[in-house]
Amino acid sequence: MAVQKSISEEDFRTFREFFYRKTGILFEDSKRYFVDKRLLDRMNATGSETFRGYFTMMRFQTSGEELQTLINSMTVNETYFFREEYQFRCLVDSVLEELVERRADDSSPIRIWSVPSASGEEAYGIAIYLLEYWPRIADLDVEIISSDIDTDILAQARRGRYGERSLQQLPLSLRNKYFHRDGDHYRVDDVLREAVDFTRANVTDAAEMRGYRNFDVIFCRNLLIYFDDLSRKQTAESFYDALNPGGFVCLGHSESMSRISSLFRVRKFPEAIVYQKPWEAR
Amino acid sequence: MALKKSQQTPADAKDERHLPRDLSGLLTALNAAEPMARRWAARDLAEHPEASAALVERMRIETEPSVTQVILTSLTRLGDEIAVAGLTDCLRSEDAMLRNAAIEAMKQLPDEVAPIMGQLLEDPDPDVRIFAVDVLESLRHPRVEDWLIRVIAEDPHVNVCATAVDLLGEIGSERAAATLRALKSRFADEPYIQFAADLALKRIGAD
Amino acid sequence: MKRILVIDDAATVRLYHRSILESAGFEVTEAVNGLEALERVAEAPFDLYLVDVNMPKLDGYGFLRELRGKNQLPQAPAIMVSTEAAANDQAQAFLSGANLYQVKPVRPERLLSHVQTLLGMTPTDVGRPS
Repeated sequence: MAVQKSISEEDFRTFREFFYRKTGILFEDSKRYFVDKRLLDRMNATGSETFRGYFTMMRFQTSGEELQTLINSMTVNETYFFREEYQFRCLVDSVLEELVERRADDSSPIRIWSVPSASGEEAYGIAIYLLEYWPRIADLDVEIISSDIDTDILAQARRGRYGERSLQQLPLSLRNKYFHRDGDHYRVDDVLREAVDFTRANVTDAAEMRGYRNFDVIFCRNLLIYFDDLSRKQTAESFYDALNPGGFVCLGHSESMSRISSLFRVRKFPEAIVYQKPWEAR
Repeated sequence: MALKKSQQTPADAKDERHLPRDLSGLLTALNAAEPMARRWAARDLAEHPEASAALVERMRIETEPSVTQVILTSLTRLGDEIAVAGLTDCLRSEDAMLRNAAIEAMKQLPDEVAPIMGQLLEDPDPDVRIFAVDVLESLRHPRVEDWLIRVIAEDPHVNVCATAVDLLGEIGSERAAATLRALKSRFADEPYIQFAADLALKRIGAD
Repeated sequence: MKRILVIDDAATVRLYHRSILESAGFEVTEAVNGLEALERVAEAPFDLYLVDVNMPKLDGYGFLRELRGKNQLPQAPAIMVSTEAAANDQAQAFLSGANLYQVKPVRPERLLSHVQTLLGMTPTDVGRPS
């Protein structure tokens, strides 16, 4: 007779503490059903009879594969224009203002790196945000570079063709201004396509990262949670050397650099928390 | 003045770093005056298995924390005997940052740390034993529960046991239950041990 | 209600300190290391910090030095809790900005009395809305 598998209150707490320590994502009690359901799915998929058995297997599996699968199932990674818009607001209202003030007469371009590019929504979104909401774009040059490990997705990003769903957060006026109807899709305007440089890069490869430097801002949202601890730390260290002194890293809203590396300072702006390479860094 | 396309990314890898990127060039750069050059050398040395000793040596005298961090990452990636011995030495360091960073690095090296774990758990210094238990937290190794049970059965120091109980609550099984109960009587007048052992028993479903 | 930030990498220790402090009417927030604690502090001020020494990423000494070194961060008393009883550990704690040093494991009644003293409260004040 099959025994009904279940997750007890204590199992939930044990799991929550572990997951919080590993990923920085904290599940409130109200997420109990969501978490239990996914845990039970993974228990079934791996043939585990009890939570305890599954948990031990997942924690001590040498490859760490099941932990990654579980993280994937616990995180919803959707990409669309202006996702987590408050970070773009932080970019134009706080981050760039501080950078420009410190740069004084330096007229070299401000460099922004968006990684992973995925299908390009973030990089184009940053471009739109700067043109629309950052008046200083009239006096200063900005370069936007966006990278991904996957060449297929890069080709898609360069093409800049999106379905209705990707654009639903975008105000209608901006949709009309920066996109052209193309069948049941929308094509991003050439002004944006020409402004963003898409490159192939693997951020965990130190040798490849050598070419990426002199950035002022790095957007790296919802990528590091999928890495193991060592790759995550190594990537943060590469970012440190890819940034100019005083440069910023923006992570996804449930991510925190405090789990990854002590190289950066936490900066609280009215709109968001971001991480900064110290100005005095050498 | 506006958005413009980058002219330089990825930049040419020849760059400002003057020294050749072979082993001897990197070893020279590891002692360069600029921290950035040292970081890059330490990072690239992770590709050279014979570099562990030089990295350990540099770590002992390095004063710039950002360089130390990169050295630790490279030692973790190399993960040979010399690297592990260098990390183990750090557990005795006066520098709390270095100690804790070494623990994190060792957590990534289960197979390499396992052979010396028995010895670390019997170190005369209770702090080293606590750090050894901390290392067990992320060690993906089948003997972790056995080690923890032995610690709470035998270790005379309350804080070594306390650290082990915290972890047993997470990964322990029914097998740990009897020893957890024995620990409660061994430290009957320590409220923390009572609290922690009860919690662990509850979590492993044995209360 | 007075707000206390409990900083420790061990979940059981956080839970233990939380249960003691909540039973006396304090509001408790947790952080797993010094860097995360600095993030919590940046979000909202606390009335007291209960700080472990050995933690990954940023240890307790480092946390207090950062906290005390920044005038824009809200200052409040800090109790450092450590497994180490040696004199130089205590000295280092005070130099980093701790107001009090406690050796683990902590006894509930002693912890509460120290917390109340540092907050300038008499025992009956605790738990009253402030």
